[in-house]
Amino acid sequence: MADGALNPGVNLEAFAQAIAAIQALRSSVTRVFDCLKDGMRNKETLEGREKGFVAAFQESLHSVSRDLGELERLSNLVGKPSENHPLHNSGLLSLDPVQDKTPLYSQLLQAYKWSNKLQYHAGLASGLLNQQSLKRSANQMGVSAKRRPKAQPTTLVLPPQYVDDVISRIDRMFPEMSIQLSRPNGTSAMLLVTLGKVLKVIVVMRSLFIDRTIVKGYNENVYTEDGKLDIWSKSNYQVFQKVTDHATTALLHYQLPQMPDVVVRSFMTWLRSYIKLFQAPCQRCGKFLQDGLPPTWRDFRTLEAFHDTCRQ
Amino acid sequence: MQRRSGRSDGVRKVASGHSGVGVSQVPVAEGKSVQQTVELLARRLEALGADKQGTFGVDCETYHTAAALGTQGQTGKLMYVMHNSEYPLSCFALFENGPCLVADANFDTLMVKLKGFFQNAKANKIESRGTRYQYCDFLVKLGTVTMGPSARGISVEVEYCPCVIANDCWNLLMEFMQSFMGSHAPGIPSVFSTKHDSAYSPGDTMVQYMELFNKIRKQQQVPVAGIR
Repeated sequence: MADGALNPGVNLEAFAQAIAAIQALRSSVTRVFDCLKDGMRNKETLEGREKGFVAAFQESLHSVSRDLGELERLSNLVGKPSENHPLHNSGLLSLDPVQDKTPLYSQLLQAYKWSNKLQYHAGLASGLLNQQSLKRSANQMGVSAKRRPKAQPTTLVLPPQYVDDVISRIDRMFPEMSIQLSRPNGTSAMLLVTLGKVLKVIVVMRSLFIDRTIVKGYNENVYTEDGKLDIWSKSNYQVFQKVTDHATTALLHYQLPQMPDVVVRSFMTWLRSYIKLFQAPCQRCGKFLQDGLPPTWRDFRTLEAFHDTCRQ
Repeated sequence: MQRRSGRSDGVRKVASGHSGVGVSQVPVAEGKSVQQTVELLARRLEALGADKQGTFGVDCETYHTAAALGTQGQTGKLMYVMHNSEYPLSCFALFENGPCLVADANFDTLMVKLKGFFQNAKANKIESRGTRYQYCDFLVKLGTVTMGPSARGISVEVEYCPCVIANDCWNLLMEFMQSFMGSHAPGIPSVFSTKHDSAYSPGDTMVQYMELFNKIRKQQQVPVAGIR
């Protein structure tokens, strides 16, 4: 009740009276039913009994309607505290007098705004993504859960031997590129691709799909302290961080779920064009440097070199 | 060989480094002092967006082969013992056109013991000290070359850290150097032509510094404004 005193919209005295009125109403309603339950008795004549019963019944009904009227009158005085608030009961938080110490209400509003925005943007994003349908494998979204197990065998469960074959064929295809295959964690392969003396690429595979690539400098360490391939840390050099971004874009670009080996080959062919990373000028502006970076983008079809900002 | 910074190889141009590096000399601008020209270059670098990253120093001492060795046909050959703050635990010993030896820093003590064979020409000590700048993946070292008490010239070392083959990134280095040195950007250093496709090493940088220092020593009679 002490909290209520702080609320200018609530009349405390009216509250107390209203509660009393509710009690009165309940007892008068109880009396009505008591009267009905007891029926006509203790009267000598039938007529007298009927009269007495009707009078008693009438009186108790009157008292019910009187108490109800009183309650209605009081309820107007009490006011309507929270039900009309847009945030319902959480709106009561705004009544907290110590805003500085417990800024719950403003935080709540902020969180509410954010969640609204998030929902809106998520809606937009899902609309856009569905149009683009970046299906990296046949069993991704859009396919119903029932069909999922069916799609799996064709593309995801390939014998390791087959993966090894595909990779070693690619390795032989490009003399300036050496590919080292290892399986440190079960069946998934990890590739360490060394391109000339320019860069090294760590490629994490899932079957024949490329899940992740990290590009690092030729002179950078690609192993963790315990001698495993370091698939998490990024390059120290801005140029290779940029190339990593582009390689990730390329992963999403080269897609052909039914022929994963072609995808890997296309990706490697594209990657090989970085052999001239420091030697090729931009095909658009003709310069080597832009903002301190060489042309880091390679066109997916023509493999020509462009600065990130020079490509269309 | 250990370097102070976590960075490993790269190419430099004019002066030193482990990546593609170029070291070059900038002539002092007409009517300006060495200090003013260094400040001008520093301002241009900062305008480009380069960040200051401490200081650096490269020094070079000259040793004459002593008479005892001279009788065996080594007459007059000079040996240079150099240090680079980028490789604080190392010491470089070079002959002109000859091999470059990379040793631990206590090589200096060894040279003291060998003074019967190699004599330190103390007056010839030359060094370059200045500020280190970073711009993207480039490392620029802007130094004032001093011999004894007097400033003799300016050295600019540019390293492109991601690239290990100096020849690969020469054009790129050149374009970068032109962006703040203008027409004073140097020609391709002679070390590059002998490297072909092998990886750049810190010794290659020291060779470039040695050549630069020798050039400056020969110019010592020329007035400061004419240093080239």
